[in-house]
Amino acid sequence: MKKLLLLLLSIAVLGACSKDFLSESSPGQGVSGSITRFAVNGNYMYVLNQNEVQTYDITDRANPVLKHKLTTDWGLETITFYDNTLFLGSTTALYILDISNPAAPVVQAKSDRLSTVGFSGCDPVAVNGNYAYSTIKVIENICGIISAESALIVYDVSDKSSPKVLGTYPMSIPNGLGYKDNYLFVCDEGSDLLVVYDITNPAALQLAPVAVPMTDPYDLIVDGQRMIVSTKTDFQIFDVSQLPQIRKIGAIGK
Amino acid sequence: MKKFLFYGLLLLAGATGCEKPERNFFSGEGKRPVYVAEAELKDIRNELPGAVQQSGTIFLRDTLLFLLDEQRGVFVYSLADTLNSRVLTFFKIPAVTDFIISGNIMYADSWRDLVVIDISDLYQIRETNRVRDVVTPSLYPPNYFGIFECVDESKGAVVGWENAYLENVRCSTF
Repeated sequence: MKKLLLLLLSIAVLGACSKDFLSESSPGQGVSGSITRFAVNGNYMYVLNQNEVQTYDITDRANPVLKHKLTTDWGLETITFYDNTLFLGSTTALYILDISNPAAPVVQAKSDRLSTVGFSGCDPVAVNGNYAYSTIKVIENICGIISAESALIVYDVSDKSSPKVLGTYPMSIPNGLGYKDNYLFVCDEGSDLLVVYDITNPAALQLAPVAVPMTDPYDLIVDGQRMIVSTKTDFQIFDVSQLPQIRKIGAIGK
Repeated sequence: MKKFLFYGLLLLAGATGCEKPERNFFSGEGKRPVYVAEAELKDIRNELPGAVQQSGTIFLRDTLLFLLDEQRGVFVYSLADTLNSRVLTFFKIPAVTDFIISGNIMYADSWRDLVVIDISDLYQIRETNRVRDVVTPSLYPPNYFGIFECVDESKGAVVGWENAYLENVRCSTF
Protein backbone atom coordinates (compact mmCIF):
# COMPACT_ATOMS: atom_id res chain seq x y z
CA MET A 1 0.00 0.00 0.00
CA LYS A 2 2.80 2.32 0.94
CA LYS A 3 4.52 1.46 -2.33
CA LEU A 4 1.38 2.24 -4.30
CA LEU A 5 1.09 5.59 -2.56
CA LEU A 6 4.68 6.38 -3.38
CA LEU A 7 4.08 5.41 -6.98
CA LEU A 8 1.02 7.64 -7.18
CA LEU A 9 2.91 10.46 -5.55
CA SER A 10 5.80 10.19 -7.97
CA ILE A 11 3.38 10.16 -10.92
CA ALA A 12 1.78 13.29 -9.54
CA VAL A 13 5.20 14.95 -9.19
CA LEU A 14 6.23 13.86 -12.67
CA GLY A 15 2.97 15.19 -14.05
CA ALA A 16 3.52 18.51 -12.33
CA CYS A 17 7.01 18.77 -13.78
CA SER A 18 6.09 17.88 -17.32
CA LYS A 19 4.38 21.19 -17.94
CA ASP A 20 5.58 24.60 -16.90
CA PHE A 21 2.77 27.07 -17.20
CA LEU A 22 3.98 30.61 -17.19
CA SER A 23 1.11 32.00 -15.16
CA GLU A 24 1.49 29.47 -12.37
CA SER A 25 5.25 29.27 -12.03
CA SER A 26 5.91 32.97 -12.60
CA PRO A 27 3.63 35.46 -10.94
CA GLY A 28 6.23 38.29 -11.00
CA GLN A 29 6.77 40.97 -13.62
CA GLY A 30 10.15 39.85 -14.77
CA VAL A 31 13.27 41.82 -15.61
CA SER A 32 15.47 42.21 -18.69
CA GLY A 33 19.24 42.27 -18.77
CA SER A 34 20.96 45.58 -19.44
CA ILE A 35 21.30 45.07 -23.18
CA THR A 36 17.87 45.31 -24.78
CA ARG A 37 15.85 47.64 -26.99
CA PHE A 38 12.51 46.82 -25.35
CA ALA A 39 11.10 48.16 -22.07
CA VAL A 40 7.67 47.83 -20.47
CA ASN A 41 6.32 50.20 -17.85
CA GLY A 42 2.71 49.77 -16.79
CA ASN A 43 0.50 49.84 -19.84
CA TYR A 44 3.18 51.13 -22.18
CA MET A 45 5.95 49.45 -24.09
CA TYR A 46 8.93 51.37 -25.47
CA VAL A 47 10.86 50.00 -28.43
CA LEU A 48 14.05 51.43 -29.91
CA ASN A 49 14.10 51.37 -33.69
CA GLN A 50 17.38 52.71 -35.14
CA ASN A 51 16.67 56.44 -34.73
CA GLU A 52 13.30 56.49 -33.03
CA VAL A 53 11.66 55.56 -29.77
CA GLN A 54 8.29 53.93 -30.38
CA THR A 55 5.61 53.94 -27.71
CA TYR A 56 2.99 51.21 -27.76
CA ASP A 57 -0.16 51.20 -25.67
CA ILE A 58 -0.40 47.63 -24.34
CA THR A 59 -3.41 48.11 -22.04
CA ASP A 60 -4.82 45.22 -24.02
CA ARG A 61 -1.73 43.03 -23.87
CA ALA A 62 -2.79 41.02 -26.92
CA ASN A 63 -3.28 44.10 -29.05
CA PRO A 64 -0.39 46.60 -28.91
CA VAL A 65 -1.13 49.93 -30.54
CA LEU A 66 1.68 52.17 -31.80
CA LYS A 67 0.89 55.56 -30.27
CA HIS A 68 3.95 57.72 -30.66
CA LYS A 69 7.33 57.99 -32.35
CA LEU A 70 10.13 60.15 -31.01
CA THR A 71 12.93 60.79 -33.48
CA THR A 72 16.51 60.80 -32.17
CA ASP A 73 19.94 60.51 -33.71
CA TRP A 74 20.84 57.18 -35.29
CA GLY A 75 22.41 54.41 -33.26
CA LEU A 76 20.01 53.72 -30.38
CA GLU A 77 21.13 50.55 -28.65
CA THR A 78 19.80 50.06 -25.14
CA ILE A 79 16.89 51.20 -22.98
CA THR A 80 16.32 50.99 -19.26
CA PHE A 81 13.55 52.32 -17.03
CA TYR A 82 14.28 53.96 -13.67
CA ASP A 83 12.32 56.41 -11.52
CA ASN A 84 9.74 57.39 -14.13
CA THR A 85 12.51 58.01 -16.59
CA LEU A 86 13.90 56.18 -19.61
CA PHE A 87 17.66 56.04 -20.05
CA LEU A 88 18.89 55.23 -23.55
CA GLY A 89 22.38 54.25 -24.59
CA SER A 90 23.23 55.10 -28.18
CA THR A 91 26.46 54.94 -30.14
CA THR A 92 26.95 58.64 -29.56
CA ALA A 93 25.06 59.71 -26.47
CA LEU A 94 23.24 59.01 -23.24
CA TYR A 95 19.60 60.08 -23.61
CA ILE A 96 17.33 60.81 -20.67
CA LEU A 97 13.62 60.74 -21.54
CA ASP A 98 10.87 62.14 -19.38
CA ILE A 99 7.74 59.98 -19.38
CA SER A 100 5.47 62.07 -17.16
CA ASN A 101 3.12 61.47 -20.03
CA PRO A 102 3.87 57.79 -20.60
CA ALA A 103 2.20 57.87 -24.02
CA ALA A 104 4.64 60.45 -25.38
CA PRO A 105 8.24 60.47 -24.08
CA VAL A 106 10.17 63.74 -24.28
CA VAL A 107 13.96 64.17 -24.46
CA GLN A 108 15.00 65.73 -21.17
CA ALA A 109 18.72 65.56 -21.81
CA LYS A 110 21.20 64.25 -24.32
CA SER A 111 24.74 63.88 -23.11
CA ASP A 112 26.92 63.69 -26.18
CA ARG A 113 29.78 61.37 -25.37
CA LEU A 114 32.28 62.95 -27.74
CA SER A 115 31.99 66.29 -26.00
CA THR A 116 31.66 65.01 -22.44
CA VAL A 117 34.16 62.17 -22.31
CA GLY A 118 36.15 62.69 -25.50
CA PHE A 119 35.19 59.49 -27.30
CA SER A 120 32.14 57.66 -28.40
CA GLY A 121 30.75 54.13 -28.64
CA CYS A 122 27.75 52.02 -27.78
CA ASP A 123 26.42 50.24 -24.75
CA PRO A 124 24.14 49.87 -21.80
CA VAL A 125 23.16 51.99 -18.83
CA ALA A 126 22.35 51.04 -15.23
CA VAL A 127 20.84 53.67 -12.93
CA ASN A 128 21.04 53.74 -9.14
CA GLY A 129 19.67 56.75 -7.27
CA ASN A 130 21.31 59.91 -8.58
CA TYR A 131 23.92 58.05 -10.60
CA ALA A 132 23.99 56.36 -13.98
CA TYR A 133 26.67 53.86 -14.97
CA SER A 134 27.29 53.24 -18.63
CA THR A 135 29.88 51.27 -20.54
CA ILE A 136 31.42 52.24 -23.85
CA LYS A 137 33.30 49.68 -25.85
CA VAL A 138 35.70 49.65 -28.74
CA ILE A 139 33.63 49.09 -31.82
CA GLU A 140 34.08 48.99 -35.53
CA ASN A 141 31.04 50.69 -36.88
CA ILE A 142 29.70 50.70 -40.40
CA CYS A 143 32.09 53.46 -41.36
CA GLY A 144 35.03 51.45 -40.12
CA ILE A 145 35.74 53.96 -37.39
CA ILE A 146 36.99 52.40 -34.22
CA SER A 147 36.21 54.13 -30.98
CA ALA A 148 39.43 55.08 -29.30
CA GLU A 149 38.79 53.70 -25.85
CA SER A 150 36.62 51.41 -23.80
CA ALA A 151 35.45 52.60 -20.45
CA LEU A 152 32.90 52.68 -17.70
CA ILE A 153 31.40 56.16 -17.38
CA VAL A 154 29.73 57.42 -14.21
CA TYR A 155 27.16 60.20 -14.62
CA ASP A 156 25.59 62.36 -11.94
CA VAL A 157 21.92 62.44 -13.00
CA SER A 158 20.51 64.18 -9.94
CA ASP A 159 19.44 66.88 -12.37
CA LYS A 160 17.93 64.81 -15.15
CA SER A 161 17.99 67.71 -17.55
CA SER A 162 21.72 68.13 -17.09
CA PRO A 163 23.72 64.92 -16.53
CA LYS A 164 27.38 65.41 -15.61
CA VAL A 165 30.28 63.04 -16.10
CA LEU A 166 31.68 62.15 -12.67
CA GLY A 167 34.31 59.67 -13.67
CA THR A 168 35.77 57.46 -16.39
CA TYR A 169 37.29 54.06 -15.70
CA PRO A 170 39.20 52.15 -18.39
CA MET A 171 37.83 48.75 -19.41
CA SER A 172 38.87 46.19 -22.03
CA ILE A 173 35.69 45.24 -23.93
CA PRO A 174 32.81 45.90 -21.54
CA ASN A 175 29.27 44.67 -22.17
CA GLY A 176 26.30 44.43 -19.79
CA LEU A 177 26.24 45.68 -16.22
CA GLY A 178 24.15 45.72 -13.06
CA TYR A 179 24.39 46.43 -9.35
CA LYS A 180 23.37 45.31 -5.90
CA ASP A 181 23.72 47.48 -2.82
CA ASN A 182 27.12 49.16 -3.02
CA TYR A 183 28.59 46.96 -5.71
CA LEU A 184 28.54 47.34 -9.47
CA PHE A 185 29.17 44.34 -11.74
CA VAL A 186 30.47 44.80 -15.28
CA CYS A 187 30.84 42.05 -17.88
CA ASP A 188 34.26 42.66 -19.42
CA GLU A 189 34.61 40.42 -22.43
CA GLY A 190 38.10 41.69 -23.22
CA SER A 191 39.66 40.68 -19.91
CA ASP A 192 37.39 37.63 -19.43
CA LEU A 193 36.30 38.97 -16.07
CA LEU A 194 33.20 39.96 -14.22
CA VAL A 195 34.66 43.18 -12.83
CA VAL A 196 33.32 44.39 -9.48
CA TYR A 197 33.41 48.02 -8.29
CA ASP A 198 32.61 49.37 -4.86
CA ILE A 199 30.29 52.29 -5.66
CA THR A 200 29.87 53.60 -2.11
CA ASN A 201 31.38 56.85 -3.35
CA PRO A 202 30.11 57.30 -6.94
CA ALA A 203 32.67 60.04 -7.50
CA ALA A 204 35.54 57.63 -6.84
CA LEU A 205 34.77 53.98 -7.58
CA GLN A 206 37.06 51.42 -6.00
CA LEU A 207 37.90 48.18 -7.78
CA ALA A 208 36.82 45.38 -5.45
CA PRO A 209 39.37 42.57 -5.19
CA VAL A 210 36.78 39.97 -6.12
CA ALA A 211 36.65 39.95 -9.94
CA VAL A 212 35.29 36.65 -11.19
CA PRO A 213 37.13 35.04 -14.13
CA MET A 214 34.86 33.70 -16.89
CA THR A 215 35.06 33.42 -20.67
CA ASP A 216 33.32 36.16 -22.65
CA PRO A 217 30.70 37.47 -20.20
CA TYR A 218 27.95 39.33 -22.11
CA ASP A 219 25.16 40.47 -19.81
CA LEU A 220 23.75 39.95 -16.33
CA ILE A 221 20.65 40.18 -14.17
CA VAL A 222 20.71 40.75 -10.42
CA ASP A 223 17.58 39.28 -8.84
CA GLY A 224 17.42 39.50 -5.06
CA GLN A 225 20.14 37.28 -3.62
CA ARG A 226 20.94 35.83 -7.04
CA MET A 227 22.95 37.05 -9.99
CA ILE A 228 22.75 35.38 -13.39
CA VAL A 229 25.57 36.08 -15.83
CA SER A 230 25.16 35.18 -19.49
CA THR A 231 28.40 34.34 -21.30
CA LYS A 232 28.88 33.23 -24.88
CA THR A 233 28.81 29.58 -23.85
CA ASP A 234 26.86 29.31 -20.60
CA PHE A 235 24.92 30.90 -17.76
CA GLN A 236 26.63 31.22 -14.40
CA ILE A 237 24.53 31.64 -11.29
CA PHE A 238 25.93 33.34 -8.19
CA ASP A 239 24.84 33.92 -4.62
CA VAL A 240 25.31 37.65 -3.93
CA SER A 241 23.77 37.72 -0.44
CA GLN A 242 27.17 38.15 1.25
CA LEU A 243 28.76 40.89 -0.85
CA PRO A 244 31.55 41.52 -1.60
CA GLN A 245 31.71 37.74 -1.55
CA ILE A 246 30.37 36.24 -4.77
CA ARG A 247 29.72 32.54 -4.58
CA LYS A 248 28.99 30.44 -7.67
CA ILE A 249 26.02 28.16 -7.07
CA GLY A 250 25.18 26.83 -10.50
CA ALA A 251 25.62 26.90 -14.27
CA ILE A 252 23.69 26.02 -17.41
CA GLY A 253 25.42 25.14 -20.66
CA LYS A 254 24.21 26.78 -23.83
CA MET B 1 11.02 70.47 -79.18
CA LYS B 2 10.33 66.83 -78.38
CA LYS B 3 13.65 65.87 -79.91
CA PHE B 4 15.43 68.53 -77.90
CA LEU B 5 13.81 67.28 -74.72
CA PHE B 6 14.78 63.72 -75.59
CA TYR B 7 18.45 64.58 -76.13
CA GLY B 8 18.37 66.80 -73.11
CA LEU B 9 17.13 63.95 -70.98
CA LEU B 10 19.66 61.61 -72.53
CA LEU B 11 22.42 64.05 -71.71
CA LEU B 12 21.13 64.42 -68.20
CA ALA B 13 20.97 60.64 -67.81
CA GLY B 14 24.50 60.39 -69.13
CA ALA B 15 25.70 63.09 -66.78
CA THR B 16 24.18 61.48 -63.69
CA GLY B 17 25.50 58.16 -64.93
CA CYS B 18 29.01 59.59 -64.90
CA GLU B 19 28.65 60.51 -61.27
CA LYS B 20 28.49 56.80 -60.49
CA PRO B 21 31.64 55.48 -62.14
CA GLU B 22 32.68 51.84 -62.45
CA ARG B 23 34.57 51.84 -59.19
CA ASN B 24 31.22 51.53 -57.41
CA PHE B 25 31.32 47.83 -58.29
CA PHE B 26 33.42 45.62 -56.06
CA SER B 27 34.78 42.10 -56.38
CA GLY B 28 36.55 39.98 -53.80
CA GLU B 29 35.99 38.30 -50.44
CA GLY B 30 32.98 39.73 -48.66
CA LYS B 31 29.66 39.04 -47.01
CA ARG B 32 26.48 37.73 -48.61
CA PRO B 33 23.03 37.88 -46.96
CA VAL B 34 21.35 34.67 -45.83
CA TYR B 35 17.60 34.86 -46.44
CA VAL B 36 14.48 33.18 -45.16
CA ALA B 37 11.45 33.37 -47.40
CA GLU B 38 8.72 35.83 -46.42
CA ALA B 39 6.29 32.96 -45.78
CA GLU B 40 8.64 31.32 -43.30
CA LEU B 41 8.53 34.36 -41.02
CA LYS B 42 5.09 33.17 -39.94
CA ASP B 43 6.53 29.88 -38.73
CA ILE B 44 6.57 30.64 -35.00
CA ARG B 45 6.35 27.56 -32.79
CA ASN B 46 8.05 25.39 -30.18
CA GLU B 47 11.03 23.34 -31.24
CA LEU B 48 13.34 20.96 -29.46
CA PRO B 49 16.15 23.13 -28.07
CA GLY B 50 19.48 22.64 -29.80
CA ALA B 51 22.65 24.62 -29.14
CA VAL B 52 22.64 28.40 -28.78
CA GLN B 53 24.43 30.09 -31.67
CA GLN B 54 24.53 33.77 -30.74
CA SER B 55 23.34 34.94 -27.34
CA GLY B 56 21.41 38.16 -27.03
CA THR B 57 18.83 39.66 -24.68
CA ILE B 58 18.15 37.87 -21.39
CA PHE B 59 14.93 38.05 -19.38
CA LEU B 60 14.24 36.55 -15.96
CA ARG B 61 10.91 35.95 -14.29
CA ASP B 62 11.11 34.10 -11.00
CA THR B 63 12.50 30.71 -11.97
CA LEU B 64 12.18 31.09 -15.71
CA LEU B 65 15.09 32.45 -17.74
CA PHE B 66 14.68 33.45 -21.39
CA LEU B 67 17.59 33.92 -23.81
CA LEU B 68 17.52 35.39 -27.29
CA ASP B 69 19.40 33.44 -29.93
CA GLU B 70 19.95 36.12 -32.58
CA GLN B 71 17.77 35.70 -35.68
CA ARG B 72 16.58 32.23 -34.59
CA GLY B 73 14.38 32.43 -31.51
CA VAL B 74 14.27 32.30 -27.71
CA PHE B 75 15.50 29.56 -25.36
CA VAL B 76 13.66 28.95 -22.09
CA TYR B 77 15.42 27.62 -18.99
CA SER B 78 14.22 26.60 -15.56
CA LEU B 79 16.21 27.77 -12.54
CA ALA B 80 13.76 26.19 -10.10
CA ASP B 81 16.48 23.86 -8.90
CA THR B 82 19.70 25.88 -8.99
CA LEU B 83 21.92 22.82 -8.90
CA ASN B 84 19.99 21.24 -11.71
CA SER B 85 18.98 24.12 -13.94
CA ARG B 86 17.94 22.99 -17.37
CA VAL B 87 16.61 24.03 -20.75
CA LEU B 88 12.85 23.56 -21.14
CA THR B 89 12.05 24.52 -24.71
CA PHE B 90 12.87 26.74 -27.67
CA PHE B 91 10.59 29.27 -29.32
CA LYS B 92 11.31 29.43 -33.02
CA ILE B 93 10.91 33.09 -34.12
CA PRO B 94 12.60 33.66 -37.50
CA ALA B 95 14.54 36.94 -37.87
CA VAL B 96 14.12 37.95 -34.21
CA THR B 97 16.65 40.36 -32.71
CA ASP B 98 15.02 41.36 -29.40
CA PHE B 99 12.03 40.60 -27.16
CA ILE B 100 10.27 41.33 -23.89
CA ILE B 101 7.56 39.62 -21.85
CA SER B 102 4.55 41.14 -20.11
CA GLY B 103 1.92 38.93 -18.53
CA ASN B 104 1.48 35.89 -20.73
CA ILE B 105 2.55 37.75 -23.84
CA MET B 106 5.92 37.89 -25.52
CA TYR B 107 6.62 40.82 -27.83
CA ALA B 108 9.36 40.17 -30.37
CA ASP B 109 10.59 41.83 -33.51
CA SER B 110 10.73 39.75 -36.65
CA TRP B 111 12.18 41.49 -39.70
CA ARG B 112 9.79 44.46 -40.25
CA ASP B 113 7.05 43.39 -37.83
CA LEU B 114 6.36 43.38 -34.11
CA VAL B 115 4.96 39.96 -33.25
CA VAL B 116 2.64 39.16 -30.35
CA ILE B 117 3.05 35.62 -29.04
CA ASP B 118 0.89 33.95 -26.39
CA ILE B 119 3.26 31.98 -24.15
CA SER B 120 0.84 31.11 -21.35
CA ASP B 121 1.62 27.49 -22.14
CA LEU B 122 5.37 27.41 -22.67
CA TYR B 123 5.04 24.27 -24.74
CA GLN B 124 2.24 25.47 -27.01
CA ILE B 125 3.16 28.99 -28.00
CA ARG B 126 1.27 30.70 -30.78
CA GLU B 127 1.38 33.95 -32.65
CA THR B 128 -1.83 35.84 -31.89
CA ASN B 129 -1.20 39.18 -33.54
CA ARG B 130 1.38 41.27 -35.37
CA VAL B 131 1.94 44.96 -35.99
CA ARG B 132 3.22 45.22 -39.53
CA ASP B 133 6.01 47.39 -40.90
CA VAL B 134 7.09 49.09 -37.70
CA VAL B 135 10.65 47.73 -37.40
CA THR B 136 13.55 48.95 -39.54
CA PRO B 137 15.96 46.05 -39.88
CA SER B 138 19.64 46.66 -40.48
CA LEU B 139 20.66 46.03 -44.07
CA TYR B 140 24.37 45.94 -43.22
CA PRO B 141 26.47 43.06 -41.91
CA PRO B 142 27.02 43.82 -38.19
CA ASN B 143 30.49 44.67 -36.88
CA TYR B 144 31.96 44.38 -40.33
CA PHE B 145 34.17 46.52 -42.53
CA GLY B 146 34.29 45.63 -46.21
CA ILE B 147 32.25 44.79 -49.28
CA PHE B 148 28.95 42.93 -49.29
CA GLU B 149 26.15 41.88 -51.56
CA CYS B 150 23.29 44.37 -51.23
CA VAL B 151 20.12 43.07 -49.63
CA ASP B 152 17.43 42.11 -52.14
CA GLU B 153 14.21 42.08 -50.17
CA SER B 154 12.37 40.20 -52.91
CA LYS B 155 14.35 37.18 -51.68
CA GLY B 156 12.91 37.46 -48.16
CA ALA B 157 14.22 38.51 -44.78
CA VAL B 158 17.91 38.60 -43.87
CA VAL B 159 18.74 36.31 -40.94
CA GLY B 160 22.51 36.32 -41.22
CA TRP B 161 25.57 36.95 -43.34
CA GLU B 162 27.97 34.38 -44.84
CA ASN B 163 31.46 34.78 -46.21
CA ALA B 164 31.65 34.51 -49.98
CA TYR B 165 33.66 35.51 -53.02
CA LEU B 166 31.65 38.33 -54.56
CA GLU B 167 31.66 39.63 -58.10
CA ASN B 168 30.51 43.11 -59.09
CA VAL B 169 28.59 43.90 -55.94
CA ARG B 170 27.50 47.46 -55.27
CA CYS B 171 27.49 47.58 -51.48
CA SER B 172 30.31 48.33 -49.07
CA THR B 173 30.69 49.79 -45.61
CA PHE B 174 33.13 52.43 -46.88
